Amino acid sequence: MAGNFFAAVGASVLNLCAEVGGILTLLFRVLICLLPPRFDLDETWRNLHKMGVRSVPIIVLTAFFTGGIMVIQAAVFVKKFGATSLVGWGAGYAVFREIGPMLLGLMFSGRVGSNNTAELGTMVVTEQIDGLRALSIDPVRYLIVPRVLSMIVMLFLLTILGDVVAIVGAALFGTVLADVSLASFWVSFSQNVHVADVTHGLIKAAVFGFIVALTSCHFGITVKGGAVGVGRAVNNAVVAAALGIVLSDYLLTYALP
Amino acid sequence: MIHCDGLCLQLTHRPVLADVTWHIEAGSVWGIIGPPASGKSVLAKTLCGLFTPRQGRLIVDGVDLPGLPEPDRVRVRRKMGMLFQNNALFDFLRVLENVAFPLARQNPKMPQDELVARAQERLRAVGLSGSEEKWPSELSGGMKKRVGIARATICNAPVLIYDEPTAGLDPVTTSKIYDLLTGLRQKHASTVIAISSDIPALRHFVDHILFLHQGRIRYCGPESGLEACEDPVVYQFVRGQTEGPL
Amino acid sequence: MISNFFASVGAFVLGMVEAFFQALSIAGRTFRGVFHPKGRARGEVLHQMYQIGNRSLLFVTVTLGALGMVLVFQVCLQINKITGDQSQVGPEFIRGMVHAFVPILTAMMLATRVGAGIAAEIGSMTVTEQVDALRMTGVDPVDYLIVPRFLASMIMTLVLGIYATVIVVLAGALMAHTAFDVNYNVFFVFEKITWGDLGVGLTKLVVHGGAIPIVSGYCGLSTTGGSEGVGTATTRAVINSSLTVIILDFVISAIGLMTVQSGT
Repeated sequence: MAGNFFAAVGASVLNLCAEVGGILTLLFRVLICLLPPRFDLDETWRNLHKMGVRSVPIIVLTAFFTGGIMVIQAAVFVKKFGATSLVGWGAGYAVFREIGPMLLGLMFSGRVGSNNTAELGTMVVTEQIDGLRALSIDPVRYLIVPRVLSMIVMLFLLTILGDVVAIVGAALFGTVLADVSLASFWVSFSQNVHVADVTHGLIKAAVFGFIVALTSCHFGITVKGGAVGVGRAVNNAVVAAALGIVLSDYLLTYALP
Repeated sequence: MIHCDGLCLQLTHRPVLADVTWHIEAGSVWGIIGPPASGKSVLAKTLCGLFTPRQGRLIVDGVDLPGLPEPDRVRVRRKMGMLFQNNALFDFLRVLENVAFPLARQNPKMPQDELVARAQERLRAVGLSGSEEKWPSELSGGMKKRVGIARATICNAPVLIYDEPTAGLDPVTTSKIYDLLTGLRQKHASTVIAISSDIPALRHFVDHILFLHQGRIRYCGPESGLEACEDPVVYQFVRGQTEGPL
Repeated sequence: MISNFFASVGAFVLGMVEAFFQALSIAGRTFRGVFHPKGRARGEVLHQMYQIGNRSLLFVTVTLGALGMVLVFQVCLQINKITGDQSQVGPEFIRGMVHAFVPILTAMMLATRVGAGIAAEIGSMTVTEQVDALRMTGVDPVDYLIVPRFLASMIMTLVLGIYATVIVVLAGALMAHTAFDVNYNVFFVFEKITWGDLGVGLTKLVVHGGAIPIVSGYCGLSTTGGSEGVGTATTRAVINSSLTVIILDFVISAIGLMTVQSGT
């Protein structure tokens, strides 16, 4: 029985190493295509549009309610300490530095990352990737690099949009739920939130975009087994991206000012 | 036994069946043929009540099927056994449990050993004794089809529907499957509807043919009358010609 | 351009509303199914509990441990700049975790992991006609597939949430101690937590746990189209479950604020 347990743990660890190795290999191949930069511009443009424009609604909705949740948490403090002047600062600080990049990164991973894995996975199952290779087109250069670049750029831009919407949402819910006037919100916000807070969050967003891109592409390309395999790959990709986002958030929080 | 009148069905806003009128007598053996994406599988599923037509009437054994809400359709479906195009074996159950499943659902009080015995008898009849403990993913294409047939016939339903019983199988296995289906049919005198793209083998098995093209019936009658049909689509299809409306 | 922006958000919201009502009907059937078990597979709920719980354990531990440390770090950093008094951090942190952060973060993590899994499983079954085969034998797919996962997810989300709270508090305490020299005794102060806080936190966990399988199960059952369809369904499940969790969290927080937590 103990032997089975250790075997299972060992198998999981080996599995994990295989996946991590696969992701690093993909990273390496992507970097090669970037120096010197030779990749398909049309594909990049198409991906920018697909990932960016079609994610806007979900990002806006998420950010709006995130702002609301932040304010509700702050409202408890406000009622206790009467600290209405801190709400603007608190919301801005938390949203820009942590909650914004993190939640938007997770939603992006859910929307764009899993879509990407599903697309690539279906291409593998229907042998389109083999078809590309048969035409001596490098799938990494043609498919992967444009997606990686698009996801980094798009999550960065979408986080900016999301931050704005979250703050607006927070301000609105602040007036409704916590009796914080818009004026005092704005004053507290503008006086205490610095550019450094915003850049802290945006750097994180770019890194998260990179992580979502790598994980989703890796699991998409390595799909085995038809419809069930695609579903499993999307599942794994989303979990891996979430882990990556959380762990890199941890590291970046220390590393950045 | 089954009567359709002017059935029209749409899926995601596309018309799939148009004005299907068809009368199936009890005990008759029908084959549904036609080019791909003609609505053959959709028609079969509509007869089981898995799809609801927008227009038209469908009477199964005296019951107006589309008029029933979903939970009540089970009473009618108990009289039907279906082999799905992709077998649709439950991949979370072993072969024996798959075959016994419909019987267990219909007879919740049947004792376990009787369920097992009936399922084993079915597997013997399709030539798969010894595969009881396997998972569907471990079976070959032909084996999966046979398990599907065992599952479809375990309740001795008076109406049997086989959707592509021999698709993707070699000629030898195809003959064996049709022998099996003929044997089953003779034993229980059931009404049988079979969909197939393997026209010659199918024609030996059935008495009547229904030809569907783009959701419309082009021919509905005895199997022997197929050559004489003058409809250009049927004419081209039956002879396998490359020139014509298809 | 601006009108396009609002139009796309509006269209999206309308699409969600329509899906919402369909999911609501599945929710209704699920609740009915809980109280009228019609020969569901024995032990299926336990099996699902194992799938959800065991396989998410490591994931939840790692993510919430890391997040706990990050949050404490950020808060202590700011407190240092303002008052330098770290003694309040512990109790307020623990309180905030219980009624706010742990429920939503656990639920978001589970929405991705469990939601994707459920949609992938049920979606593949739909696409390979297994759901049709179930209907042929008189089984209601909602009853057979979704109800066990619904029950299992509510229980396991609750359990995982409690477990996650422990992890997060321990991780946060570790961070406060090593980076800011906050004494463990000062950190682990539990008196500030009220019954209202506990109630809100537990309610959130149970509600989120129930919502995820309903939404993902709905996405799985409405899959069309082969392997591509399964991928799409899994994607939709993750997004829709996450969004549902966020909105439900917001609603419960607002209700909690106005009823149980005012003036504490």
